[in-house]
Amino acid sequence: MAFEAVLLRRSSGATALEVPVGLKEYRADGGYEGLEKALSVGPEEVIEEVKASGLRGRGGAGFPAAVKWSFIPKSDNKPKYLVCNADESEPGTFKDRLLIETDPHQLIEGCAICCYAVGAHTCYIYIRGEYVRQAEILETAIRQAYDAGVLGDSVLKSGFKLDMRVHRGAGAYICGEETGMLESLEGRRGQPRVKPPFPAIVGAFGAPTVINNVETLCNVPHIMTRGADWFSEIGTDERNTGPKLYCISGHVERPGVYEFPIGVTLNGLLEAAGGVLGGRPLKAFIPGGASAPILSAEQSHVPMDFDSLAKAGSMLGSAAVVVMDDTTCLVRAVYRLAKFFAHESCGQCTPCREGTNWSQMVLGRIESGNGRPEDPELLLRMTGNMSGTALCALSDACVGPVRSLVQNFRPEIEEHITSGRCPLPYRSVFGKTAGTGH
Amino acid sequence: MSSSMVSVTIDGRTVEVEAGSNLVDASFKAGVQIPHYCYHPRLSVVGQCRMCLVKIEGVPKLQTGCTTQITKDGMVVRIDDDEVRAAQEGIMEFLLINHPLDCPICDQAGECALQDYSFKHGQAFSRFSYEDKRTYPGKERIPLGPNVVLNMNRCIQCTLCVRFTEEITQTGELGFFQRGSRAEIGVFPGKELDNPLSTCVVDICPVGALTSTQFRFAERVWYLDKTPSLCTGCDAGCNITLEHRQGKIRRYKPRTNVEVNDYWMCDFGRTTFLSYEEDRLTTPQRRDAQGQMRATTWDQALSSVYHFLIDGAAMGTVGIVARGAATTEEAYLLRLLADSLETPHRGVLREPGPVRSIPNLNGGLTGREITPNRRGALLAGLGPAGLGPEDSEASADSATSPGEAEKILGGAVNGAHSVLLIFDGGRAGSDNALSRPAALESLRQAQTVVVLGWASTELTQVADIVLPIATHAETEGTLVNSQHRLQKFERAFLPPSGVRTGVEALSDLVRRFRSDFAAQTVSEVFDLMAGETPSLEGIRLAGLPAGGIQLPVPPE
Repeated sequence: MAFEAVLLRRSSGATALEVPVGLKEYRADGGYEGLEKALSVGPEEVIEEVKASGLRGRGGAGFPAAVKWSFIPKSDNKPKYLVCNADESEPGTFKDRLLIETDPHQLIEGCAICCYAVGAHTCYIYIRGEYVRQAEILETAIRQAYDAGVLGDSVLKSGFKLDMRVHRGAGAYICGEETGMLESLEGRRGQPRVKPPFPAIVGAFGAPTVINNVETLCNVPHIMTRGADWFSEIGTDERNTGPKLYCISGHVERPGVYEFPIGVTLNGLLEAAGGVLGGRPLKAFIPGGASAPILSAEQSHVPMDFDSLAKAGSMLGSAAVVVMDDTTCLVRAVYRLAKFFAHESCGQCTPCREGTNWSQMVLGRIESGNGRPEDPELLLRMTGNMSGTALCALSDACVGPVRSLVQNFRPEIEEHITSGRCPLPYRSVFGKTAGTGH
Repeated sequence: MSSSMVSVTIDGRTVEVEAGSNLVDASFKAGVQIPHYCYHPRLSVVGQCRMCLVKIEGVPKLQTGCTTQITKDGMVVRIDDDEVRAAQEGIMEFLLINHPLDCPICDQAGECALQDYSFKHGQAFSRFSYEDKRTYPGKERIPLGPNVVLNMNRCIQCTLCVRFTEEITQTGELGFFQRGSRAEIGVFPGKELDNPLSTCVVDICPVGALTSTQFRFAERVWYLDKTPSLCTGCDAGCNITLEHRQGKIRRYKPRTNVEVNDYWMCDFGRTTFLSYEEDRLTTPQRRDAQGQMRATTWDQALSSVYHFLIDGAAMGTVGIVARGAATTEEAYLLRLLADSLETPHRGVLREPGPVRSIPNLNGGLTGREITPNRRGALLAGLGPAGLGPEDSEASADSATSPGEAEKILGGAVNGAHSVLLIFDGGRAGSDNALSRPAALESLRQAQTVVVLGWASTELTQVADIVLPIATHAETEGTLVNSQHRLQKFERAFLPPSGVRTGVEALSDLVRRFRSDFAAQTVSEVFDLMAGETPSLEGIRLAGLPAGGIQLPVPPE
């Protein structure tokens, strides 16, 4: 039985210039019925339904969404907030962008249901600064929703008050980390906060706050209209349920966003995306964004869901799949990733500030032919010290690719070190060989 | 709720702490050290340096001690643990790879937390051999303000200084700029670190990034001797460590007293010892028949003072005036002298000055006078005769009416036969009540003026006998601050030859009137005074706690 797209059902394969689905079309297609249903069954029922669906966060950590919602204190006279994380800054990730620019009301509806479930009357959509057009699309859609009485003083005439605002970031990876995002939202330097207290207790402006990813929230209306049972049928098992957007990029014929039941294998995904670029052999792939440990071609049969990938030593993360063919120098690839993390570290805590930069320097040295025999061990020890010691997850995010390089592809590093040069010719993703120099 | 106690076990030692305390504070109580850089008990907890990682039973990952609050009984924590040691080594390595390691030319060497912890928790080798250290070119010596210089290369990004200006002084001059390994601290554009407590950022900086313009390169810190003392810059009575070498004060550092100055002291206070260098008196002097000041011996000088005072007393024209710089013991001896002379003309000067504020947990305290011990002098009985110390203090503590001392300086005992004994002892300066032209003119009218002081000033110009006494660094004693807190300071070093302490000079003089007067040392004088002063009942100098004792506050 062919899988029918859920999240992307209203967007036809999606190009960036597509006109977003307007409110009228959205409602004609059954939009906002999930919100209506939610308003009729009451907040507890909504949380129960989403809990039963097994929906796990699509932002990277995979935490059960409804459990997060249930952490919000019920009897608290503080205001409560929903902050939708549309910062989408993990390299290789571009699914939220597609969801926003093709079907913004799906996100608005998901936000509204979540706000109703937790009793939040204000929702902020924190969108990355580079998403200018997407922010405008969202603002237009929110205006439409206000005008139609979907948002405002009485959501769909239910008496439930809800305001929604788009807040644009200023361009920092770390603001995708939930507490870094809250700091940025509040107008301060974007750097993560000490946890605990967790945002569910002390979040935005000191009040209880739910933070969910765009894709997570986009699933919610469908759960409300079609039921938890329908949702939990999709996917690998009862812990990995629902439809999932996979962003495939790198050495692949047709890069893009593909919707699959969660747990598709790389092979399945590659089939949809036309295979490895130029039909070349697969060497390695990143299954879940820049912070996911790199897997080798032998693992392309692993179902790409939360638990199967964790078992394989990597993670689903944001499901940003980066395909690398046999011409890819993995030392260079990881060096670029480490450089990214060193650039994006906020600098407040020691292991991340110093460790990301040091690993970047060591990898750059190896790639340029100045590696030392002790370097692989040094990288392991260094990343060991970076792992689990930092204030937020960015340090561990850098550890993922670096450690997997040493553990899964050690001969390639050693070849760099012993030959004193990068053994692979440099090739851009467009297939032209541009010599061996970097 | 906050007063409930919970128990925590750290490395096998169980202690009771207040619920909600963090592990770093609890470890002090348990006598175990959790190393830390970015934590300060008075600043917000940020968990940035990651040095305080500890193992908590039942928690899978290591946790930072500073951010871990003890809320329930029975938390079991391990620091003496391989996993913790490995983490500490790792953090030390990260902190050191980009540190210049220029200890031989770094002013912090010897009192550097990076040195101390690398000795205790670091590795003896470096694995950072083939990369270039990060530097901040051109940022090796940036004046952040008049008192503080930043060397960014040495900074470990703990942000203590930034949080100090945000949370303690609430002036917010400093910020954390850039990110990642380029992160740096600095002043905001157009701002300058010039708040009254600015040098405190140098004290809390764990490394040599922030140095004080006053002290940098003045002395290697391991040569310094340290004496618990008090700042005499105003009547706030900040507790300090007086750091000195070979009879010279090199700097003042705040000494923690949560009831008074907490962890802080003001920039002005840190400069007050500089005046001790000026025009020091080193020998007793007496005006001869031709009107010239001539050096004399202590015995001859005191003998002359004795005779002048006896004569003056016979005429009923003796006045005794002290500045609030006299220690409580010196003031007590002056009072005994006044009692022996049966003169009602005695008093301590009130010298108002700029308001100096020090934050603490009780809302802070202020000093409003330029001398540190007017209240102590009144407590010792150097107020109007016939009143007990508390009463005299209450009557003299009103700022509006001139006190007896002001009246004496204003000419109350002027006349052909007047004899005035003036105890100076404080800092020189134009705000000084004894340097005002009117006061000096009045003193010129007196027949005989005896001055006890340590510096040659306008006042000593008009004196007939000058007795050189020790500065507060060269003696010991007690002071009573603006909160009526009795605090003691210790002697840092001996006075120069030829100089006596105020207590030595005055007890000698008192003995010339009362041959049975046995007290000679400061503690003997204090104990004698305490024996006859109700609010000091039961207090002995030797038993006075380091943080002082709060005395009852007399009604205003």
